[in-house]
Order: sequence, then structure tokens, then C-alpha cells
Amino acid sequence: MEALDLTNRSRRKLELKPEWANICFACGTCASGCPVTGVDGWDPRKAIRAAVLGLEDELIDARWPWICTMCGRCQYACPQGVEFVSLIRHVRSHRDREKVPGTLHKGVEAALKTGNNFSIPKDDFIFVMEDVAEEFAEEEGFSDFKMPLDKKGANILCTVHGKLPFGATDDMKFWWKIFYAAKEDWTIPSENWEGVNWGLFTGDDEAMKTMVGRIVENMEKLEAKNLLFPE
Amino acid sequence: MATRLGLQKWFPDAFKKFGVYTVFDLMIKYIKEGRIKLDKTRHPQLSTYHDPCNYGRKSEMMFGHGYYEEGRWIMDQCTDNWVDAYPNRANQFCCGAGGGAWLTPYNEERVYYGRKKIEQIKATGAKLIVVPCHSCYDQFKKSLRVEYDMQDLEVKYLWAVVADSIVL
Ligand code: SF4
Ligand code: SF4
Repeated sequence: MEALDLTNRSRRKLELKPEWANICFACGTCASGCPVTGVDGWDPRKAIRAAVLGLEDELIDARWPWICTMCGRCQYACPQGVEFVSLIRHVRSHRDREKVPGTLHKGVEAALKTGNNFSIPKDDFIFVMEDVAEEFAEEEGFSDFKMPLDKKGANILCTVHGKLPFGATDDMKFWWKIFYAAKEDWTIPSENWEGVNWGLFTGDDEAMKTMVGRIVENMEKLEAKNLLFPE
Repeated sequence: MATRLGLQKWFPDAFKKFGVYTVFDLMIKYIKEGRIKLDKTRHPQLSTYHDPCNYGRKSEMMFGHGYYEEGRWIMDQCTDNWVDAYPNRANQFCCGAGGGAWLTPYNEERVYYGRKKIEQIKATGAKLIVVPCHSCYDQFKKSLRVEYDMQDLEVKYLWAVVADSIVL
């Protein structure tokens, strides 16, 4: 077997930053604290070795970078300060978008097109919100509750986690109850209200930027004073 | 986390111009200002608290502040009967559904991942696990509870605990 000349590597796909991999001294602290060490034969130390040694396609095509939850436990414990979470996100970004596992990229595409991860049309969203608000107002103590959609000049602008209007409407009422009790002046935009940014997980900076940009637009348009970071 | 990261990176002016709150900051503000009153007797069962990676360890690494104590302070306002799981804060185990794992087809691996967290919770003897994160919530409630035969474990959002403790 031919020896690898690590000082003379050609420019590679991953364009590694030194702090993502090169500074690793392979101690294995990361791997020992990772709950999915050994799954498919991978672990964080091995992933770093693969990246450094040029086994990039093997790493990009593996399931493991998507089974790792980017929880950062490895990174927190690393004596060298290797930025493993950034490495994994970068590896994920090199997957063909068509081959991103599960519904992650489909959600990103839906969000870019419709403003939310579940493609809920605006009219449906307004209907659901009003409907659940009416239901909420029937509960004891909340009879004058009104859904403050698109209210201008509010103190707090909230986004919504797409799964809630999609299928867990009751879970929206907790924050409503808190706002009501605190007599808060708040609003939810009727467009581009999605608070969950799956571009973070798929390594898609463009999508992530677009989604955050829409929140900024809503803040400007509705002249809101404060943003409540998505839950 | 994505929103804060994106604001800092791509919209620094907006980030400066608008005020921002995390869910913790806002709940704490309401409680401290006396705008919401909480009844500690509504959650008498033994509870425990889960640090989500994004609010805790990853916030600490990325923004210089991990939201560890905020959630615990809120727990203290809602109940006298809760204990920490071990390890916690920066060394906590991820629930297994982070990083979008809830949305991939690798269910078996996601459940396997969660065994660590479940062991922690079992060791506390808690009847209620409180989480301030949507992914963790789904992982505990819809998956781990069932897979690890803990159907009696109640799962609640931190803001649900607060909302349900409110005295109007
Ligand atoms: S803990 Fe850090 S230095 Fe040690 S093997 Fe892991 S990444 Fe490399
Ligand atoms: S980020 Fe978490 S899941 Fe991924 S390798 Fe590190 S410890 Fe394991």
C-alpha cells in the first residue's frame, strides 16, 4: 500500500479548516462520550480521521453524519478544541440535495416556497389560528382572548413551530395563556411565520439566510419591537 | 439557535436594532415583574429537567452563554419537588432527536441514541420530564417513552408547566 503524503494534498472537496480536523491529535475523548460511537462502525474521531486522510466520499455518503445529532458533547470535551459540529454540518452540506435523508430537505424546499416547513397555505393558517383562538376563548378566564395576527407595533413578535398548526394545535395555547396572563402586547405574522430553520441541519446556508431574512422582514413590516426567538 | 446565528451572521444591523428574547428570558421577566403568578401545588409529582443541547452546551460554545440556570430557576418557581438528572448542564446527553434526527428515516438509531438519556431519567425516579425544546419533546413523548416501556412518564414543555401553574 502506498503511503499518503499528507503535506502535499491536492485541494479536496471538503476544504477543511484546520480547526475542524487537522488539529485533532486522535486521543479519542470525543468518541468515548458519544452515544452513537460504533453505529455503522463510525465515531467522531474516525470521522475526523476520514476527513483528514481523504476518505471524504466515504464520509459524505455514510448514514452516520445524519445519525450524529450534532449535540456537541464530543466538542465540549475535546482538549484540542476541534470544531466537530461545524465539520459534520459541512459534511452534510456536501450531500446531493436529492439524497438528504428523510423529510429534511423536502421541508427546506417547502419552506422556501411557501414560507413554512409543512406548506400550510396562508388562508388555512389564518383559519386554524382563529379557530383555535375561539376554542381557547371558551376556556374559563380567557373569554376576551383575541388572536393578534399581523398586529402593528407590538412589543413581541413570535414565530410558530410549523408542527403546531399542522397537527398539535392545543400546544400553541400554553404561550397564549402566558401572554394573556402577563397582558403582553404580541403578534404573529400571517405569512412566513415559520420559526424552525431546517437549513441548520442540512448544512444549507442559503436557505437558512432566506428564512432568517423573512423574520427580519416581518419585524420591519409589523414594526415590532422585540423578537421572541423561536422555541 | 438558527435564528440567532443567522441574525448575527447575516443581519447584524437588525440584530442590533430589535430587542430579542429567548423563551427563558421572557418567562423569567414575567415572573420577576409579578406579571404572572404561579401556584406550586399544581405539579406535586417528582419531576426532572432536560437541558436541550442547543440552549445549553451549544449556546455556551457558540454564544458564550449556556442557558442552564434559567430553566432551573423557572422549575423552582413552579415546583418544590424536582431533581436534576446526572450528568447535566454542559455534560448532559442529547435526547437523540437533535440535528434533525427526528426527520430522518434512521429511527432505530435514534431510539438507540436515546437509551443514555432514558437511563438518566429512570435513575431519578421522576414521573414528569420537563423540556424546553420541541424536538426533545417529540423524542420523549412519542418515541422513547414507548420504546423503553415508560408509558407512565409524563412529558411537558417548560412553558406548559408555567402556563398550567398560572393563577389568573
Ligand atoms: S477529543 Fe478532540 S483531539 Fe481527541 S480525538 Fe476527539 S477531536 Fe481529536
Ligand atoms: S455531536 Fe454528539 S452525536 Fe455527534 S459525534 Fe459528537 S457526541 Fe456524538
